[in-house]
Amino acid sequence: MFWNHVSEQLSAYCHGELRPEESRRVAEHLMSCRRCRDEYEETRFVAQLASRLSHDLAREQAPAALWAELEVMIDRSETPRRKPRLAGTPLRIALAGAAALALAIGVFWFYPRASRPAWDVTRIEGAPKVGSKAVMEAGKLRVGEWLVTDDSSRAEIRVGEIGQALIEPGSRVRLVEAKADEHRLALARGKMQAFIWAPPRQFYVDTPSAVAVDLGCAYTLEVGDDGQGLLSVIAGWVAFEWKGRESFVPAMAMCVTRPQLGPGTPYFSDASEDFQNALAIFDVAESGSDARLNALQSVLAKSRKRDALTLWHLLVGADGGDRLRVYDRLAELIPPPPQATPEAVMRGDRGALDLWWEKLELGSAEWWRIWKGPVPSQTK
Amino acid sequence: MSEQASERRLIEACQRGDREAFRDLYDAHKDRVWSVAVRFTGDESVARDVTQQVFLKLFTSIAQFRHEANFKTWLYRLAANECMDEFRKRRRLIPFDFFRPVPLDDRDEDHGEVNAPDWRQEPLQEASLARLEISEAVLAAVMQLKPKLRMAIVLKYFEDLSYEQMAEALGCSMGTVASRLNRGHKALAQKLGRLRGSLGAAE
Repeated sequence: MFWNHVSEQLSAYCHGELRPEESRRVAEHLMSCRRCRDEYEETRFVAQLASRLSHDLAREQAPAALWAELEVMIDRSETPRRKPRLAGTPLRIALAGAAALALAIGVFWFYPRASRPAWDVTRIEGAPKVGSKAVMEAGKLRVGEWLVTDDSSRAEIRVGEIGQALIEPGSRVRLVEAKADEHRLALARGKMQAFIWAPPRQFYVDTPSAVAVDLGCAYTLEVGDDGQGLLSVIAGWVAFEWKGRESFVPAMAMCVTRPQLGPGTPYFSDASEDFQNALAIFDVAESGSDARLNALQSVLAKSRKRDALTLWHLLVGADGGDRLRVYDRLAELIPPPPQATPEAVMRGDRGALDLWWEKLELGSAEWWRIWKGPVPSQTK
Repeated sequence: MSEQASERRLIEACQRGDREAFRDLYDAHKDRVWSVAVRFTGDESVARDVTQQVFLKLFTSIAQFRHEANFKTWLYRLAANECMDEFRKRRRLIPFDFFRPVPLDDRDEDHGEVNAPDWRQEPLQEASLARLEISEAVLAAVMQLKPKLRMAIVLKYFEDLSYEQMAEALGCSMGTVASRLNRGHKALAQKLGRLRGSLGAAE
C-alpha cells in the first residue's frame, strides 16, 4: 500500500518509540516500499552518526567558576527591596497619584536615555567580548551584559561619569547597575583596576564572596576561579563587606575575601610574610580552635605599630578571650584613650572603639559612621 | 536511601531556603544543564549565561516544584526554555565563521518567525569538510539546525531522553517530538550525506 507511506514515523521507529502494532506495520511497509526504505536508511545513518557523536564526546562539564558567578547573582536576587507601608487610604491614593504623575513626566522626559543604560567599553588589546560579540575598538556594555577578556585581551570600562575600570586578561565582568547613584559591576573572575573620582559609596563591585564599596579611591581587585578575592588599595579607602561582615582597607593595605567566609582582616602590604601567613590562618580557622589561637599569638607577636590597622579590626572581630589578647597588644602599640577600657571594648562600645581608631591616625571614623552607622561587625 | 528519596530531601531543603542544599543540587545537575546549553548554543560564553539563568530561575522558583513531576525533566524544561529565549534575544548563535547565510526556503509551525533574520546556513563546503573530523562535521551540522529541531536532537542524542521525557521538557506532544526529530534527521542527512563513505572507514 504505497499510498500509505510511513515517512513521518521513521524516527520513532528507529528509536523504538512506536507501539508494537505500529512498529509491525512500519516494518511491513518498509519491506514493500523502496521510497520509505531509502528514507529509513537515511534516518538510520544520521541516527548512527549522532549516537556515535554522543558516545565519542565526553559529557561537557560546567566550568568550575560558574557557581561563584551564580552565587553573586543569587545574592543580588535576594537583596530585600524596600516597600513602604502607607497608613490610611486617602494618603495612599494621593501618593499613588503623585507617583504616577511623576512617573509619567519621568518617562516622557527621560525614557530614551534611561531605557538603555550602558557604559562605554574601549578595547586596549586583544579581542575582548561583550556577550558573544567582539569589541573592535569601542563598544557598549549594557546592564546585564558580560564583558569577557581572554588571556591576551584587556579592555577599559568607563564607569558612567565617575571613573574607569581597566579589565585585565582572563576576566569576566558584568554590568549590574548603571544608575546615577549606584554604579555596580560584578567581577566573577579575573582582575580589574578601578580609579574612581566620585564621592564615596557610588561605585560597587560584587565578587563571589564580598562587595567592594568605593570610598573615593584607586584599587585593584582580583577574583580566582575558586571565588577567593584579593583587594589591594592604591589610594583612598575601600570597604569590603559581605553578609554583615565588613573590612575597611586604606591605601597600601590589602584584604582577602573567601567564599563562605567573606572579607578577612585587612593588613598593610609591607607587613612581614609571617604576619600575613598567621593572619590568613586566623581568618579561616575554626573559632576556639588551637590553630586559631596559635595564629593569633603569632600575629600579635609579629605586629608593628603600623599593624594597628589589623589589630583594631581583630578587636572587633575576635572572640572574648582572643579579644582581650588583642586589646593588650594594641594598647602596647597605641595606648587607648581613657574611654576605651577593657570592659568598654569587651562589650563592643562603639564610641570607645571610635576614639581608639582616631588615635591610629589613619583618618577620621566619622566618614564611615555617616556612611554605615555600626562598627564593623564580628568576624566569627 | 534511594537516589530519588535523597533528591527529594535535597529539593525540600532548597524549598526551605537552604543555600548549602542548593549548592548540592547545583553540583548534581550543573553538567546536565551546561551540556544542553553548550550543545545548543555552540558558544561557551552564551552557555554560561544560559546556565546561570537556568539556576537562578531554579533558585527563585523551586518552591513551586511539586514532586509529582520529574525534577530532571523539569530542569530540562527550564534549560530548553532558556536556550530558546536566548536564541530569540540574540538571533544568531553560530560561532563558526565559515558558514554563510542562505535565504529561508520553507517554514512550518516550528520555524516560527516569518521576519526573523535567517540563521540557517548552507551545507558544508568541500574544502571545510576536508579539514574537519567526522564528529566536528556532525556537531557543526547540528549547530545549523533550526532551534527547535536542534533542541530535539540535543535532548535525544546528548541527553538520551525518551520521547515522553522530551515532550514534557519541551512542552509539546510526543507526536511533535517525533516530527521534530524526523525533520532534524532529514536536515542532517542532507548536510552529512557525503560522510556516508567515511563512516565505515573511520570505524
